[in-house]
Amino acid sequence: MRETVATDVLRAFLGTMAAVFIYSIAGAGAPALMVVFNAFSIVVLYFAVRRGEMFGALLGTMCGLAQDAFSLGVFGVGGLTKTLLGFWAGYVSRRIDVVPFSRNALFVLVMSVLEVVLWVLLTALVRLRAVNLEGGLLFVQPVVTAVLASSLFALERWIARRSSRGA
Amino acid sequence: MLLWERRRNALVLAGLIAFHVLLISIQIPQGSRKSYFERGVFFVYAPVQRLAAATVRGLGSLWSGYFDLRGVRRENQKLKRENFFLNQDIRFLQDRLGLAGTEAELRANLAAYEKTLVAARVIGVDSVNPHQSIIIDKGRLDGLDKDMAVCDRSGALVGRTIAPVGFKEAMVQLVTDKDSSVSVRSASGPLTGSVMGLAARLCELRYVLASAGEGKPGDELLTTGFDKIYPAGIRVGTIQKVERDEASPIFLKIVVKPYFDFGTLDVVAVLTKGPGDRP
Repeated sequence: MRETVATDVLRAFLGTMAAVFIYSIAGAGAPALMVVFNAFSIVVLYFAVRRGEMFGALLGTMCGLAQDAFSLGVFGVGGLTKTLLGFWAGYVSRRIDVVPFSRNALFVLVMSVLEVVLWVLLTALVRLRAVNLEGGLLFVQPVVTAVLASSLFALERWIARRSSRGA
Repeated sequence: MLLWERRRNALVLAGLIAFHVLLISIQIPQGSRKSYFERGVFFVYAPVQRLAAATVRGLGSLWSGYFDLRGVRRENQKLKRENFFLNQDIRFLQDRLGLAGTEAELRANLAAYEKTLVAARVIGVDSVNPHQSIIIDKGRLDGLDKDMAVCDRSGALVGRTIAPVGFKEAMVQLVTDKDSSVSVRSASGPLTGSVMGLAARLCELRYVLASAGEGKPGDELLTTGFDKIYPAGIRVGTIQKVERDEASPIFLKIVVKPYFDFGTLDVVAVLTKGPGDRP
């Protein structure tokens, strides 16, 4: 039990490192990308579906806090929304089949929309002022995040199919 | 124990939510001040960001350095670096000349700025809104601390360093951030006010009385140094639009376009001596 928890924490830490790495590469390539896609959400969604709600929540906490540390927003808001995102994604994916591409894309989109809506509401509540929606670009974020995350799942399935065919 | 086994997931989730609510509750009264926990998270992950930026830069320079004229590129980089510091020096010398009354004052002013520039590379942008902050690859080990002015290649104001300042990384609050405020004056008239960010490309000049009738599009704004953070005479931007503020009719609503270009912000200069350190 203790070993599983320790392993999960270590894996979540490595997953967060990967998320920071992806976010940094995107930022170095084009800073404007930061508004239209969320690297941390993609990593949380991917591993939550793969490893379940508990790991999703733990990874969401770590990724969310890392995201908050690299921003001037209120520390903890990103952590809370990502924790819920990881938990929801893991929980729902254990109860419905999200393997087919279209269903997977819709599932990821719904999760991303929920996360952005929750983040906007929490930020507005905590800071007591209107959230900057970047001229509406913020609402593009769930769509781009969903496209990238479902492409990642599709790529993984494609690689698995090819390797099984090879074997 | 039975409850734990049956409701483990729900209990862990409740614990994590409570942990975040506690973090938010601690953060709100502190305002923009960073907690030790947040600084710790930044220190842990900032080196990963440095690594990613170095990877992108390395791959980029490998591509262009190997396939494009290798020697010429190296020489070009050296010249660019020299040009960067020369531009900064010229700008400062011009500003000091403008402010100094006598030769003795001029010499004293120039001596105060010796070896005060630290060149830094931008390795990251704000994870939520890129117009709020950037992360640079210089920190305490390079002589940086919080509240130091940061300029771009041409000497225009970019922002100031804020906590957390790591050993080799530092966060810079941009002048376009909503919580940023810079005391400025017009280069051509008696206009003074505070440039505040809008978390977008443009800023706003506040606290200019409508009755004063000052400020027109195209006017250049310079720092005053009154805020004790930014040295006087640094170029901030130009006035883009002047109109009456409907919400507060006694003030003018003045939109300012900062000089620094977010899209081309790759190298910056940090002024390690502030106005308070001057002789």
